[in-house]
Amino acid sequence: MAGPRRRPSVGGVIEVHALTKRYGDRTAVDALSFAVRPGRVTGFLGPNGAGKSTTMRLILGLDAPTAGTAWIGGRLYGDLRAPLCAVGSLLDAKGVHGGRSARAHLAALAAANGLPRRRVDEVLELVGLDPATAAKRTRGFSLGMGQRLGIASALLGDPEVLMLDEPVNGLDTEGIRWIRDLMRGLAAEGRTVFLSSHLMSELELTAEHLVIIGRGRLLADTPMRAFLERHSRSGTLVRSPEAERLRAVLEGAGARVSADARGGWLADGPSAEAIGVLARDHDLALSELTPLRSSLEEVYTEMVASATEFRGVGEERREREAPR
Amino acid sequence: MSGETMTVRPRERAVPEGRTGFRQALAAEWIKFRSLRSTLWVAAVATLLPAPGAAFVAATESLQPDDTVLGGSLTLAVPALMLAAVLGALVVCGEYGSGTMRATVAATPRRGTVLAAKATLLAGFLYAVALPSCAAAYLVGDALLDDGYAQGDPFPALLGVAATFPVAGLFGLALGTAIRHGAGAITSVLAVLLLPEMLGPLFGPGERWVAGVSPTAALQKLTQSSDAAPEALGSLGGWPSLSLVAGYTGLALLGAAALFQRRDV
Repeated sequence: MAGPRRRPSVGGVIEVHALTKRYGDRTAVDALSFAVRPGRVTGFLGPNGAGKSTTMRLILGLDAPTAGTAWIGGRLYGDLRAPLCAVGSLLDAKGVHGGRSARAHLAALAAANGLPRRRVDEVLELVGLDPATAAKRTRGFSLGMGQRLGIASALLGDPEVLMLDEPVNGLDTEGIRWIRDLMRGLAAEGRTVFLSSHLMSELELTAEHLVIIGRGRLLADTPMRAFLERHSRSGTLVRSPEAERLRAVLEGAGARVSADARGGWLADGPSAEAIGVLARDHDLALSELTPLRSSLEEVYTEMVASATEFRGVGEERREREAPR
Repeated sequence: MSGETMTVRPRERAVPEGRTGFRQALAAEWIKFRSLRSTLWVAAVATLLPAPGAAFVAATESLQPDDTVLGGSLTLAVPALMLAAVLGALVVCGEYGSGTMRATVAATPRRGTVLAAKATLLAGFLYAVALPSCAAAYLVGDALLDDGYAQGDPFPALLGVAATFPVAGLFGLALGTAIRHGAGAITSVLAVLLLPEMLGPLFGPGERWVAGVSPTAALQKLTQSSDAAPEALGSLGGWPSLSLVAGYTGLALLGAAALFQRRDV
C-alpha cells in the first residue's frame, strides 16, 4: 500500500513508511518504517547486506519500492523542485566517471539544478580539494579524495538533508575524524544527517540517534544514550580458589552473582575496588579481578544475531503450518 | 498537525533555491558531453573523416564510372555515420558503467527529461557538425574530381545526408539506454548499421528489402552513389528512406524511454 504523494511534515524529516523491496523471492527491505529528524546525526546501522543501501536508493527514488513510501519533508523525492537543494546524498558506489574532472562532475550536477557556478568552487574548498586536483581526471583519485568529492557533490545544493552511505569506509583516521566533525557541525546547524555504517564503532562517537536494521527489518530506533544505558551492562569477573565462600561474601555485600562461562563469578553491584577490599577483609585469595563492560559492538552483534535466529524460527513455523 | 511543532532554526541558504527542468538538464548534459575525452574523440573523428576521404577517393579515382561526384565525395560518410551511432551509445553507457547515472537521476528525478536532454544535445550536435563536414567533403571532391562524372544533386540532398547522423546517433542512444553496457550496445548498433547490407545478398531477390532498412542505405540513397541502385537497396527514394529510418529510430527511443522510466538505476 503506497502512501499519499504529500503529507504534512516538518521540513527536513525523512519518513519511511512500510517500505518494502523485493528482488525476485529475496526481500531486501521488509516493511521498514522509521523517521529521521533534523538537528542531529542519525546512524543507520546494520550488517552488510541488511538493506541499508537499498533503503537509501528507495528514498532517493533511484529504485522503485515494491510497496511503501518514503517522504522527504513530506514530499516524494521525485516531486522535489530542486532535489539537490533538499537532499545531498553520497551512495556507496561513488558514481563519478573516471575520465571526467572533479570540477566538471560538480559543474554538471550544479547545472542540472540551476545552481550558480561559484557553488562548485565553494564546495571544493569546503571539502579541501585544491583547484589543481579538481581539474584532474578522477581516475587517479585516492579513496580519501574520492570521498571528499562525493561529499562535495552532496553539499552542492546546501541541502537540509544529508544522506551518506558508508561515508568513512576505507578512510584513514584523519579522514574519519574530518567526516565526523563535518557531520556533527552540519547537524548542529539544524540539518538532518543520516549516515549508514556496518560498524557500531564508526557511529558510536558521531550519532546521537540509531536506526538499526537486520535482514531488511527494523531492529531498533532509539536515542544513542538510551541504547548505551540499556545495553552497556557493567560487572566484574572475580575468581578465587575458594569459589563458594567468595560467592557467599559477594552476596553478603549485596552483589548479584552469576556463574561466568569463562569460569569464576560475574558480580553485578559493587565496584572492582570494593570487591578487592571485601576479599582482603575476609582473607580470601583472588586469582582474578577484572572489570567488564560489554562493548556496544557486542550488544549490536548479539542483537543482529538473535534477530536473524528469531526469524529463522518464524520461517520454519510458517513452513510447518503451510501445507494444508 | 500543530502539535508537532519543532524548533528548526531558519538557516541562511548558501545558494538560492534552484530548479530542475529541461533547460537545466540540457546544460548539465552539455557539460558532461564536453568534459569527457572519449566522446570528444569519437565526435572529432566522425566530423573530420569525410573531407579527407573525398580527397583520397579523388586522388585514387576509385569511383564507379556511373558514380556521381556527390556520391564519391561522401564515401567515408558511412564510417562517420557508424561513429555517430557509437557516440550515441557512449553518451548513455558511459554513465551506466561509471555509476554517474545515479547522480544524474538524483539531480533530475524526471527521467524522461534526462533522456530528452541527451537526445536533444546529441541530435543538435551531430546535425551541426555533420552538415559542414559533409558539405566540405562535397566541395573537396568537386574541386579534385575530373569532369567525367555526373555531378549529382547536392541540394537539398546534403541536408538529408547530414540528418542521417543525428538519426544514427539517436538509434545508438536508444540501444545504449536499453542495453546499458557499452560493448553490447556498440556491437548491436553497428550490427543494425552493417548487417542489412552484408546479409542482403543472401536473401536473393529480397535483398533490396533487407539492405534498404539500414540507416546507411538512407545515406547512400541521398548521396546518389552508384551503390544505391534499386536492385541493391530497394526502390525507396532518398527522403522516404530517411523517413523510414527516422521513424523506427523514434520508436526505439520511445521504447528505451519506457524502459528507463521503469528500471532501477
